Amino acid sequence: MKRTFGTFAVITILLGAVVLSEVRLGGITREDPLGRELLYLPSPEMLRIMSLGNPGLVADVLYLWSIQYYSFYRPHERFLYLETVYNLITDLDPLYVDAYRIGALIMQIQTGGDQNEIDAAVRRLFDKGLHNLPDDWQLAEAAAWDFYIRFKDRETALHYAEIATQRPGAPPRIKRMVGVWRDKESAWTLDDSIEYWRRALEDAENEWDSVLCMNQFYDAVTARDRKKLEPLLEAFITHYGICPASWEDLIQAGALRQVPLDAFGDPYGIGLEDCGLVAYKKFKNQ
Amino acid sequence: MADIQLSVKDLQKTFHPGLFEASIAVLKGLSFEVARGEIFGFLGPNGAGKTTTIKAITEIIYPDTGEITVCGLPHTSLEAKKRIGFMSESPYIYRHLTGREYLGFGGELLGLDRSGLADRISRVLDQVGMSGRADRTMGTYSKGMLQRVALGQALLGEPELLILDEPMSGLDPVGRRDVRDIILNQAAAGVTVFFSTHIIPDVEMICDRVGIIVDGRVRAIGTVSELISDETTGYEATFVGALPADLRTPLDAYHVASGASWVRVTTENRDNLIQEFGDRGIQVVSLDPVRTTLEDLLMRHYEESGS
Amino acid sequence: MRAVWAIAANTFREAVRDRVLYLFIGFAVVMVVSSKLFGMLTVGNETKIIKDIGLAAMQFFSMLIAVMMSMILISREVDSRTVFNILAKPVRRWQFILGKYLGLVLIVAANLVLITFVLMLTVLVAAGELDLMLLFAGAMTMLEMLVLAAFATLFAVLTRPILGSLMTLAVFVVGHMSADLWLLTRQLPGALTRAVIAVVYYLLPNLERFNFRTEVVHDLAIPGAAAGWAGLYAIAFVVVVLFLANLRFRGKDLK
Repeated sequence: MKRTFGTFAVITILLGAVVLSEVRLGGITREDPLGRELLYLPSPEMLRIMSLGNPGLVADVLYLWSIQYYSFYRPHERFLYLETVYNLITDLDPLYVDAYRIGALIMQIQTGGDQNEIDAAVRRLFDKGLHNLPDDWQLAEAAAWDFYIRFKDRETALHYAEIATQRPGAPPRIKRMVGVWRDKESAWTLDDSIEYWRRALEDAENEWDSVLCMNQFYDAVTARDRKKLEPLLEAFITHYGICPASWEDLIQAGALRQVPLDAFGDPYGIGLEDCGLVAYKKFKNQ
Repeated sequence: MADIQLSVKDLQKTFHPGLFEASIAVLKGLSFEVARGEIFGFLGPNGAGKTTTIKAITEIIYPDTGEITVCGLPHTSLEAKKRIGFMSESPYIYRHLTGREYLGFGGELLGLDRSGLADRISRVLDQVGMSGRADRTMGTYSKGMLQRVALGQALLGEPELLILDEPMSGLDPVGRRDVRDIILNQAAAGVTVFFSTHIIPDVEMICDRVGIIVDGRVRAIGTVSELISDETTGYEATFVGALPADLRTPLDAYHVASGASWVRVTTENRDNLIQEFGDRGIQVVSLDPVRTTLEDLLMRHYEESGS
Repeated sequence: MRAVWAIAANTFREAVRDRVLYLFIGFAVVMVVSSKLFGMLTVGNETKIIKDIGLAAMQFFSMLIAVMMSMILISREVDSRTVFNILAKPVRRWQFILGKYLGLVLIVAANLVLITFVLMLTVLVAAGELDLMLLFAGAMTMLEMLVLAAFATLFAVLTRPILGSLMTLAVFVVGHMSADLWLLTRQLPGALTRAVIAVVYYLLPNLERFNFRTEVVHDLAIPGAAAGWAGLYAIAFVVVVLFLANLRFRGKDLK
C-alpha cells in the first residue's frame, strides 16, 4: 500500500514537472536576431511527397493552422510569410477556393507593410486562383468586391467583374454591376450594394453561395446604418460629454425612435472604447 | 508380401541455415517400410531426424533425394494426402477457434461431405474425450486437451495411415494411456499407425515393429523381440547388509537401497559372487538374469554413431 | 477452391476475434467523426475538410490493417506452425497463399465499408448531402489495398513478421512517391541510369493511380478510362505478386 502510494506520488510529481516545463517552454518565443518570428515552411513539392497521396489534407491542416496563426495578435512581421503560406496551401490544393478568399482577405486587413505591395500580392493570389479555377465565377466576383470596397480600386474591380461575367453560370446581377461600374458618371451607392446583394441572396444556388452573399449583404447594411447612427452618437457625446450607455439614452434624448436593428433583426451595440457602432453579425460561416 | 502403406527409400535432407553457417545433414539415406495395419514405432533420441522424416512424408519440407510413397501413391499427390491423418509434435493451434470449429476447418480442408460433417465431428470428439469441452476456445485448453483435439483432427478424415509425431509427449499418465488406447483401437480397425517417439515404454507396450533412427539413418528395424536378444548378459543379485569393501569379484553396478541393495555382475562372474557372499555370510535375497533392453540397444547405436 | 475459401474464412474469423483489429477500426471511426470538429475551426467550406480527413483515414487505417494483419495472420501462421496441419492435408501451397490473401482482403474490405459508411453519414449530417462519390473513392482505395495486401502476403512468406511489415510499409510509401521520383530521375544524365530507374519504376506499384481523392472532394469529372485501367492495373499487379509469393512458398522448407 505504502509502495503504491509512493509510486503514485512520484508519478504525480513528475507529471507536474512535465506540465510546468511545457508551460514555461510555451512562453519562450524563438526569434531571430532581427526580432522576427521564425517559421519553418517546407516546399510544396516536399509536402506533396510526404503527404503520401493526401496533399488536400495537408492543405487543410495548413489552412486551419493559418487561420489560428493570423487570428492572434502578434508582431506585424507575421504577415511577412502570408503570401508564402497561402501559396503553399494553394500549390498543394490548387482548387481550394477558401484559401484564395481568406488569404486575400487576411492580406487586405493585415497591419503594416507597403500598401502597393499588398495590393499586388492580393492580385497575384486572386489571379492564381482564377487560373486554377477556370469555371469559378464566385471567386472572380469576390475579387471584384474586395477591390471595390477595400481598395477603392474601381478599375481592377471592373476587370475581375468582367472575368466573372465570362464564366459559366455567372448570374445576371454581375452583368448589371459591370454595366453600372463601367458608367463612371453614376456612383455606386451603398443602397445599390444592398440591393445587389439582396438579389444575389435570392439567386444563391447553394449554401456556400448563400453564406457569401449574406455576409456581403450584412456588411453593406451595416455600412449604411453606420453612416446614419455614428453621427448621432457623436452628437450625443458633444451634447452630454459622455458616450451613451445604451440606445435607450438616445431614444430618451429624442435622437432615435427605437433601438436600431441589424440586417438580421438583432440590436447593434455601442463600443465601450471608441463609442462606435458594433455589429455582432450573429450567424455562422458554414 | 504385406501391403505396404508407407515406403521411404534412401531419404536424404541437408539444411542450409544461412550464408555464414555450416550446412546440417539431418537425413543421410533413410529407408524403411510400414505394412498395412501395423503399429510402427519410430524410435530415436532428440535430433535423430524423426520429425524431419515426418515432415518430408507430409511434404512440409522437401527431401534432397529419395522416394516416398503413401498407400502406393506418390506422397505429393492430393489423393495420398487424403488418406493421411497427421498430428504434429506440439499441437500448433488457433487460439481463437473452439475445438469444434477447428475440426470443422479440418473437415473443409479435407473436402468432407458437409451434410455429415457435424455428426462426424461429434463422433471424433467423443473418441478423443473432448465432447464436453469442444465449444470453448482452444486458447483455454490444457496441453492434454490440445493433444486430444489435434489427434481428433488427424482422425477426422478416417485415414488409412495415421502419422503421429510424439503423440504422448508432455501428457500425464492418464493422457498417455488414453492416446495409447486410441492408437490400439485404430490399429484394430485396420488403420496403419506410424508414430515417432523417444519414450521407450510406449514403444514396448504397443508397437508391432520398431525402427531405431540415430543420426539420420535407420540403425535397426524389426519387432521388439527380434531387436532384443534373449541372451543373458549378466546377473543382478539383491542382498541384505553392507557390501564388503574387499570384495574380489568385479562388479558392473552397485546400488544401495534402504531395505536391500543389489549388485550386477557378468555371467562369468556369477558363481564367484555367490561363493564370496556365501563365505562372508551375506544373505542373497534374489538372483535375476539381465537381458538387453531396447534402451540398451538405442544407447549402443547412439554411441556407435558418434553423435 | 473449397480449401481456399475455408482458409480465407478462417483467416477472417481469426482477425475478427483479435482485439488488435478493433483498435484500428475504433481509431478510424473516431478520426472520421472528429473531422466534424476540425470542420468547425475552418472559415469556409467545412465539408471539404470532413471529406479530406475521412478519405485520408480510410486510406491510412486500411493500410495499417493490411500491414499489421498480414503480420498477425500470415507470418504468424507460418511461424507458429499451424500451417503444418493445413499443408499435411490435401491442400496445395498456392491454395494456402490465395486463401490467406483473400482472408486479408476480406478484413480490409470490411473495414473500408465501415469507414465509408461512417464518412458518408458524417457528411450527410454536416452538409445535408449524400455524396455517392465517396463510394467510388472507397472502391479505389480498395484497389490500392488489394495491391498492398498482395505485397504483404509476399513479404510474409519471404521473411520474418516485423521485417515483412516494414517492407510492406515501404512499398506503400514508395508507391505514393514513385511518380515524383520518376520526374526527378528524368533529370539524371545517362541513358542507362534512366533505363534502370524506368525498370524499377514499372516494377513497383504506382499507388497514385488509385488516388481520386481530389476529384471526389472537389466534385470533378473522373474519366471512365482512368478508373477502368486502374482496376486492370491492380488485378494484374495482384496476380504477379501472388504468383511470386507462391513461387517462393512452393519450394520453402517450413521449420
